[in-house]
Amino acid sequence: MDNDFSRRSFVKGMAVGTLAGYFATAGLSSTVFKNALLPEEKLNLTDIGQIKGLKIKVISETSWYDNNVFLNDVKKAGGLLVNQYEIPWTREGVKAGYQGDNLGGFATYIEAELLDGKVMKILLDTGWNHHWMEKRFNEEGVAEKLAKKEIDFMVSSHEHIDHFFGIQATTKYNPDIPIYVPKGFYQEGFDLLKGKSFPKANVKNDHPHKGKVTVLDSKQVNVLYPGIALMTFDVPIILRVFGEQAFVFNVKDKGIVLVTGCCHQGIISYMEAVRKNIAGGDKIYAVQGGLHISPFEDWDPQYDDLIMAFHKYGVQKIGCNHCTGFITAEKMLKAGLPVVKGTARHMSKRDIYLGNGDELVIA
Amino acid sequence: MIEKALDTLWLEERKAAALIKQPMRGILGIILAFAFFMGLWWVFMDPRGILRWYTPQYGYMYIRWLLIVAIWQAYIFNFWPFRPNWMEKTHPLKKGLILVTMNFAITGLLIWVFYYGIFGTFAVPYFSWFELRKTGLSDFFAREYSSLAILMMAAIASWLSPIWPSAFENYPWHKLTQPAKGFTVFAVTFLLTTYIYFIFMHPHYRVLFYPWQEFTAAFPWWYESFHTLSGNFNVGWIMCATVSVWLMETIFERYPFCLVKSQPWRGIAGFFCILLLAFILFFTFVFLQDAVWGPSVEGAKRLMAPDWRYLHTGELAVILLAIALALYFYFDNWPRRFSTEVNILVRVAVTIIGAFALHWLYYQYSHMLLGTQSGYSHPQQFPMAPVILFINVMLYHNWFMDGWPGKRIKQE
Ligand SMILES: [Fe+2]
Ligand SMILES: [Fe+2]
Repeated sequence: MDNDFSRRSFVKGMAVGTLAGYFATAGLSSTVFKNALLPEEKLNLTDIGQIKGLKIKVISETSWYDNNVFLNDVKKAGGLLVNQYEIPWTREGVKAGYQGDNLGGFATYIEAELLDGKVMKILLDTGWNHHWMEKRFNEEGVAEKLAKKEIDFMVSSHEHIDHFFGIQATTKYNPDIPIYVPKGFYQEGFDLLKGKSFPKANVKNDHPHKGKVTVLDSKQVNVLYPGIALMTFDVPIILRVFGEQAFVFNVKDKGIVLVTGCCHQGIISYMEAVRKNIAGGDKIYAVQGGLHISPFEDWDPQYDDLIMAFHKYGVQKIGCNHCTGFITAEKMLKAGLPVVKGTARHMSKRDIYLGNGDELVIA
Repeated sequence: MIEKALDTLWLEERKAAALIKQPMRGILGIILAFAFFMGLWWVFMDPRGILRWYTPQYGYMYIRWLLIVAIWQAYIFNFWPFRPNWMEKTHPLKKGLILVTMNFAITGLLIWVFYYGIFGTFAVPYFSWFELRKTGLSDFFAREYSSLAILMMAAIASWLSPIWPSAFENYPWHKLTQPAKGFTVFAVTFLLTTYIYFIFMHPHYRVLFYPWQEFTAAFPWWYESFHTLSGNFNVGWIMCATVSVWLMETIFERYPFCLVKSQPWRGIAGFFCILLLAFILFFTFVFLQDAVWGPSVEGAKRLMAPDWRYLHTGELAVILLAIALALYFYFDNWPRRFSTEVNILVRVAVTIIGAFALHWLYYQYSHMLLGTQSGYSHPQQFPMAPVILFINVMLYHNWFMDGWPGKRIKQE
């Protein structure tokens, strides 16, 4: 009797619960309810102006030469969350390296022609191993332009080893160059800029920076010149780095061109942010730089999500390299995406994407 | 007497006397548990600490299995080979030391002998760090990938293992004595875990390796409906289910399925109650995220990524669970003076408010304590790791040590 009664009340309870649960879950997950309940997407478009044309030259996209040596340094130090200034990076005895040094670096040289004909000369990042970077700066004429103070400013995409630790390769030739860094730079980064050395990480700066440093934040689109803007992202990144910024150029008759360092914010997230924040951002013509997908030739099914969704954005040229990874490039090509081929020179390993010394011209 | 005690859950039989009044007892208990957690985190996990296993997957894997081994020890094996007599007479500190050491040792054996040594070596290579390394993968990612697979199986085990003792009361093996009962329930739940793993997680590995492993694993069948190939979709809702089991077991006092008196109906009802609560949690958390950050975008990373959003439902659920367990263990499952329904409603309200508070505290301050980074979404950071480790410590403290020094078993 008692059994029956409680079973009946249980059934009743379950029925009510199931119904309520069903409506709650079905309702919440259906698009009808979502449209009714979720706020409408807000666009907050900034008109950044236009430029006439753009030349983007890869100075170095080879950040390290032996993946296993790099990853063993990371593993020994305690994994991907350890502070990059605390890791003893291997700099000697690496067969595949540059003069035995495993480290290379990332830097891109950009010339943007404004509508009035003036050409802005920009350095994006400054690499890691300063011997290698000085060599590349000299080979590509960047050193000379730095020394003549022809390069207007340097942008640091983010504080990572391979983009920033080679700062003295730049300051050696022009210690006064104005530098833009993203919000999230650590005190160590500012100290390195000023000449402090970090023996544990095998990094130093013999040429302290004396110019202006501007910290850009994510509150707004930072328009530097008509048609040239930077967007900053408050993202926590591996090896205890925080924040990354990347370029948005608006090229007349072509559309938006995005130029990135590592793109830790994610390329689709970046394109979405551009669409929501920049006038004309729904038409992205080209993307250039590191896309941080499989930098260690590692993988995650989520990266396939990215490749499968990429074609929706109608990008016509994908000038990727660096931390994009070879697996990603192969998968992108297989998916029919317009990856721009390189020439595999100056220690870039493959011609599957833009390598050291390769140039993407948009005009 | 001993036979009877072996037959029922010792945790339910034990009678612990309060030595300190509330709320001081609860507060002291939480402080002690938190201090012990911080010690463990510093020694084993912290990226600034000693062993630095939070690489992240490697340490995360251990944390998840420590939880399941604790469930095995207390719920499935009912502390066998220790006798209830021993459990009652031994000083909580000594008991804690022995049982936690056992917990660590079994976890180590499970990973190094079962996963690396047997399952990974003779069946599925991605379960073994060393087998993966032999394929030419870097040592670091060989360890990360194998850890991820082992911890994905842990997610399922943490959902299924406690269901048998809790909802089914070990039916139809309830009449067996230990260790036969323990081994039977362990074998059944572990077998189920393995089957379910291959349906919900193995397809993740078709896509993880390059080229896609078309002959060995199914295409992630959830892709069309949930817009990601990642197994994080399943990790998310299965963690909601794990949390549901323990919400049912603690603040819900197995209500409403306890109203069904006979097995296996009670167990079946319990299973569906748990699943229902899990789906409510899962879809509510997905909806809340959509409301705060806007709908997710296919192929995006971090905050906007569908797979991260699903994973985050699990993270939110685990935060909820931490509060519910603290209420249950440290504040005597307050309140108890109203009808069961009202008690549960009040506890649910308290838990939700507490979870909001913990959520805020976590995302405001945890990075300084844990040596991690601030921000909601970091592709290599898993808030479930520290929160589950804290939960483990609460279990050690309350299951293995009777909540001492706030409480102590009555000596008869
Ligand atoms: Fe990079
Ligand atoms: Fe980077």
